[in-house]
Amino acid sequence: MIDRLATNARVVAALGRRSVIQTLRRPQLAAPLILFPTALLAIQTAGAGRAINLPQFPPVNNFLSFMLAGAIVQSVMMTGNSGAIAFAIDIEMGFTDRLFAAPISRYAVVLGRLAATAVLGAIIAVYFILLGLIFGASFNEGLAAAVWIIVLVAASALAFGSIGAAIALRTNSASVVQGIFPLVFVILFLSDAFFPANLMLDPAGWIAQYNPLSFIVNGIREPIIAGWSLTTQLKAVAAVIGVGAFGLTLCRFALIGRVRRGV
Amino acid sequence: MIGRLRTGWRTWTAMVLALVRRALNEIFRVPGAAIPGILAPAIFFLGLTSVFGSLTLLPGFDTHSYQSFLIPVSMLQGAGFTGAATGVNLARDIEQGWFDRLLAAPAPRPVLLAGLVLSASLRSLLPATFLLAVGFAVGVHWPGLLGLLLALFLVMGMAVVAATWGTSLAFRFRTQSAAPLMQIGMLLAVLTTTAYAPQNLLTGWLQTVAKYNPVTQVVDAARQGFVGDVTWANTWPGLVTLIGLAALLSFFALRGMHRMTT
Amino acid sequence: MAAIETQQLAREFEGSIKAVDGVDLEVAEGEIYGFLGPNGAGKTTTVRMLTTLLLPTGGRAIVAGFDVAEDPGAVRRKIGVALQEAALDPLMTGRELLQLQATLHGIAKKDGQERGKWLLDRVGLTLAADRRVGTYSGGMRRRLDLASALIHRPQVLFLDEPTTGLDPVSRKAIWEEVRKLNADGTTVFLTTQYLEEADQLADRVGIISGGKLVAEGTPTALKADVGKPHLELCLVEQAGREARAEEVLARFGTPLPARDGTLMVELEHGTSEVGPIVVALNQAGLDVESLDLVQPTLDDVFVHKTGQHLEGASEETGETEAIAE
Repeated sequence: MIDRLATNARVVAALGRRSVIQTLRRPQLAAPLILFPTALLAIQTAGAGRAINLPQFPPVNNFLSFMLAGAIVQSVMMTGNSGAIAFAIDIEMGFTDRLFAAPISRYAVVLGRLAATAVLGAIIAVYFILLGLIFGASFNEGLAAAVWIIVLVAASALAFGSIGAAIALRTNSASVVQGIFPLVFVILFLSDAFFPANLMLDPAGWIAQYNPLSFIVNGIREPIIAGWSLTTQLKAVAAVIGVGAFGLTLCRFALIGRVRRGV
Repeated sequence: MIGRLRTGWRTWTAMVLALVRRALNEIFRVPGAAIPGILAPAIFFLGLTSVFGSLTLLPGFDTHSYQSFLIPVSMLQGAGFTGAATGVNLARDIEQGWFDRLLAAPAPRPVLLAGLVLSASLRSLLPATFLLAVGFAVGVHWPGLLGLLLALFLVMGMAVVAATWGTSLAFRFRTQSAAPLMQIGMLLAVLTTTAYAPQNLLTGWLQTVAKYNPVTQVVDAARQGFVGDVTWANTWPGLVTLIGLAALLSFFALRGMHRMTT
Repeated sequence: MAAIETQQLAREFEGSIKAVDGVDLEVAEGEIYGFLGPNGAGKTTTVRMLTTLLLPTGGRAIVAGFDVAEDPGAVRRKIGVALQEAALDPLMTGRELLQLQATLHGIAKKDGQERGKWLLDRVGLTLAADRRVGTYSGGMRRRLDLASALIHRPQVLFLDEPTTGLDPVSRKAIWEEVRKLNADGTTVFLTTQYLEEADQLADRVGIISGGKLVAEGTPTALKADVGKPHLELCLVEQAGREARAEEVLARFGTPLPARDGTLMVELEHGTSEVGPIVVALNQAGLDVESLDLVQPTLDDVFVHKTGQHLEGASEETGETEAIAE
């Protein structure tokens, strides 16, 4: 049992490393995943910055501190989608079949891809934390906040990435996975990634209150703009676990389906 | 049967129209491929108005309808993406050798460029029309016929600018990997304006950039009818901007096309 | 007047890469000229210069009476081009593609339609004319590519590796088409890496290697120049005994570079030496497993001029043109 776990861990690490290197070796494809959210962060912070003067806006030092969490999550979700597209391309090319035909766990193959997404998510979190510090965001809970945010973001990346991976496994098509890219923004807009839910127009504002992404965003945002709250952080963790469980279950069914359909 | 090969305005117009027809094939023959480009501006419009809609509560915001304020920006963004897509398609044609076929034909280079660019301006009407339908359904003010036609005209002009930007980059890099650069360029051009709020409510660096960004004139011109009255004073700067940008970028595109053979 | 004439034609790329290095050639009107060489030799670069898709960096080229650098527009009106990739828009039908090509050449709409119809019939694509190009086979695409190069009745037709990747039946169909075109008076400049293609089609052949023209003439004359037949043989348990075998063979003629494990020797005194060679090898303790007497080919011409085989020389020379392109 322990041997098998150790083997699977090695497989996950090896495949994860391959995927991370694959991403970093193509900066022309990877850069937009960070540059685009950075540009939007800069523009939205300066364009809608006076929103902090609205009554009912949470007390913050500046709009950047509020928006940072949204930018992180946006970047992570785009990266997750990009990872899912790369996974789908691996499937289309037959690389994944080669792995599935090897004496390794199929779940380890999928987890390897997701591990890479988690690592990239952590890198993105570090980038935006540094960016925020340079441009005046203040972290109320200091270094502990930064570390916690990195962990939470990496876990979220894995969780949302699992949904993309499930779609890739089910459809075997990179263009289908690419087609769901606009949905990433729909989910973001229907959360309080960019604005407090209580100040959003309905029905989006109402949906945002129950969107699991909102809990995750608030978990990331809270240590930046306010102090820790166990309730908020537990909700964030629960949301990550919920989304991850959902995505991994979809992956499981997709893997079973592959063998049944002979695809 | 063939006779002398013709030249002149009529022939060149026929060449441009033939190239436009070919470029529009994708919409009619692979409609699935065109749908994301048509839907995306509307999705962003609905999302952004839902998210930032209460900005109109700020003192100094001269309209109570954020939808009316934002819709011209979304229309211009759609035009920007359409034009950038023209650049991406051209890069694909260059990579696959199709563009060599056009270069080896006796059609003048400006005619080849005109064919590409005109197709983008016509394509831009599709997402703009869909967006307007969605916008009116959620309460965007009717801009009047003049305001509507002006906005659509500026959208087509923006698509021309975006297409000349995209094609310049396509000739420079000759690969579809340059697509993000084409898209992000247009995105930044449109968003670093009075896209999210009026000039007096912008903060920091954006307030300065928007003041000097020529595309702000285009945004303000397109916005007129939706938030107030259309005046010539607020219209001509936008028109001049588009003409100037299109001329400058066309120069770079033609130079890039020429450099393909050097 | 020559249909094509080049004087010290050259093309240098960044990094001092000389893809074409001082090529002088002349193609008479009505001729089929075969331009032969391995991948990376400079064939495609030469064609791109002659078809105004690339400016020469040295020398000059006159096509159909016009300088490619000074009057490219006039050149384009006189030439038809079917490039290495049959780059066709998969969303267009065959008929639409020909109509577009006609329009881009300034042909009036009705004339273009009639000419297109005639060409589709000529290349056997009438039934597929209204199907999208994306549904065509490789052979059909090549035929459509050829038809589109002919829409305006060019004086000079450039075909860049027109049968690469095609099955033998499709290849022969293209050859037949090229012969018919030439019979109608069209000058054809054909690049190929296939010896048989050059042998079958070309009135004259130019062989390019490393950017330089190394041989030129009719296929018959070029082969006669090389002259001698050669023997190809394999030994029983050959490994490690090639050097001894070559020593023996050297007594009867010039050993040639081995290819795919086959030993080769050019025979000084003709086929009568075959017997004595086998005997000599036997006496040296080397038994012959298989033996072939081969008359000179264009590959032999290439080996004679460059020391390398034409087919299989691609891997070594491929880098230059790949960088250049």
